[in-house]
Amino acid sequence: MKSNINYLRFRLFHRFCHFLIIVSFFGLVLTGVPLAFKNYYWARWLYELFGGYPTAGFIHRMCALITFFAAFIHFVYLFYNIAILKKKGFFWGSNSLLIQPKDIFDIIGDLKWFLGIGKRPEFDRWIYWEKFEYLSLMWGTIVMALTGLILWFPIQFTKIIPVSVAGVIDLPSIALIIHRYEAILAAGFIFTIHFFHTHLLPEKMPVDEAIFTGRITEDEFKHERLTQYKRLESQGQLGNYKITPTSLFMSFLTRLFAVPLLITGLIMVGLMFSALLVWAI
Amino acid sequence: MVYKPKKSLMTEVLSVLKKFEITTFLALCVTGIVLSPAMLFAGDNGPCIECHTKPDKLKVAEKTKIDPITAEIKVVSMLIDETTFKASAHGGEDFFCIDCHQDLDGVDLTDVHKPNLKPVDCITFCHDDPADDYLKSSHVKLMRENNKDVPTCKDCHSGLTFHYSSLGEKSPMDTPRAVDPLHRRITIESCGSCHQDYLDSYRNNAHGQVTSLGYTNTDVPVCFDCHGKHTILNSSDPESKVGKEKIIETCGSCHADANASFVKHIEHPQIKNIKYYKTLLAAAKDIRKDPENFKKVIKNPQTILCLVFIAYMGILGFTFAAFGSHCLLTWFATVRDERRRKGHTDEEQH
Repeated sequence: MKSNINYLRFRLFHRFCHFLIIVSFFGLVLTGVPLAFKNYYWARWLYELFGGYPTAGFIHRMCALITFFAAFIHFVYLFYNIAILKKKGFFWGSNSLLIQPKDIFDIIGDLKWFLGIGKRPEFDRWIYWEKFEYLSLMWGTIVMALTGLILWFPIQFTKIIPVSVAGVIDLPSIALIIHRYEAILAAGFIFTIHFFHTHLLPEKMPVDEAIFTGRITEDEFKHERLTQYKRLESQGQLGNYKITPTSLFMSFLTRLFAVPLLITGLIMVGLMFSALLVWAI
Repeated sequence: MVYKPKKSLMTEVLSVLKKFEITTFLALCVTGIVLSPAMLFAGDNGPCIECHTKPDKLKVAEKTKIDPITAEIKVVSMLIDETTFKASAHGGEDFFCIDCHQDLDGVDLTDVHKPNLKPVDCITFCHDDPADDYLKSSHVKLMRENNKDVPTCKDCHSGLTFHYSSLGEKSPMDTPRAVDPLHRRITIESCGSCHQDYLDSYRNNAHGQVTSLGYTNTDVPVCFDCHGKHTILNSSDPESKVGKEKIIETCGSCHADANASFVKHIEHPQIKNIKYYKTLLAAAKDIRKDPENFKKVIKNPQTILCLVFIAYMGILGFTFAAFGSHCLLTWFATVRDERRRKGHTDEEQH
């Protein structure tokens, strides 16, 4: 039975950022992946579905601009909170998204749990794999943005480097290789690891609504992040996070939006994986 | 009735008129009114088309053809698809069948004409310049030095539509226009049929991946856009399109403001070519014997590309192995915990 007490996990700003990332990421993957898997029939079909050359490329660049915008407002948010409001806890402590000593113990604890020699460790606000996902998203966005811009403006970027260096370091070619394989890494990671770690867990199937509605129930809170729950309770702050439960309509809307995307992502990763198998065989 | 082709008369009239620009226009208007439009636009192909579009005429649909060089005997179809022909390079209104098939000039065409016409001579009257360029190119020179069969015009310029007879043999017809995307796509495969390694590496580059997806309009370069069509020269030749002297101009035909650094771009990356890795390893092995060679290999821009590629293969392998197994283990452990919890509640209930 679901408990009626709900807590706020993600504020509107973060939900909005996640929404922007979803929209742009799917646009980028669907118009970009066909280029990397150009020899397969499905890639041709998919590329044509998005208008082919040069329309698909245009959609790709527009989605890239949305990603840039999402990254930009995220860094403005961080800068505003850290440098202007002088808020603490972004780099150190239980609210930080950077790796903390507790995470090392959590990893060891989780490994024991996998083997059945211990109980699952209690997690704080961010579980270690969520931190990895966040950090790899940050790193990946920077790499993809930089290499993508080099491919978008090859003339302007090569102008910066002297001819003698350009003879050894071919910037656009390096950018293309990094862009292609970082993209396969990102798409593969999001559509398998991220999906199965957050949305497609047996207890969450088919979608973890927290990132869309911002709310988690008390039961979920205690089950997933007991340390944070206890911490907030002992500090007497738990009441500040209480919020009205998700309406049925919002829950329906979330599923309507997220489930087709989940299926699309799984199909994409299936096609990419089948290509790997074909190549290996 | 004996059919007399009107080719000579028409061409003469037109060539005279072309000398006077304004008068040409007026004269054309007058001729257009005086002569019937059918004569002007349907031209002299009528009697040819009349038979060569009818599949029920057995001699047209299935005909034995003897190759004039190899004496090979094939069964080909002589059927003509009018729309395809009109869209082809020779399908303009000022071309007539007998312009090329000249042994039919002045022949009675109301009935069957003599079989096995002479092979069409593309060079003598019309395409002498490209043929000359082609025969002088280092492409042909090298092939002759290596005692290889030099491709003839029709080996590359064979038609887009092959006319299959019921026995499955084909005869190339309908030479396509240069800008035809399908034609451009086929040229990639024609070049690749000999230069497989270069085709593979081209496919790995930005240009090649777009053409692989089937987009071969003139805004995406195929082989001949960079290497030239008939005048394919070695890059060491000063006249070569990909040589030092002309490369900026070649790249600049699409990339405005192409600069000296930009044109160092590698169009044929060797990242998936096992042979290149072998040379890398061999150079690393002989580093003490031949340090100069090692330096040369390291300075080759291909080396960095290969190292980046290998690094990414490692990152991909590691990430998916580590996180994939973590993901699966989380799944199994969660399911196990849930089962245990259910087991406990079941016991409590009993």
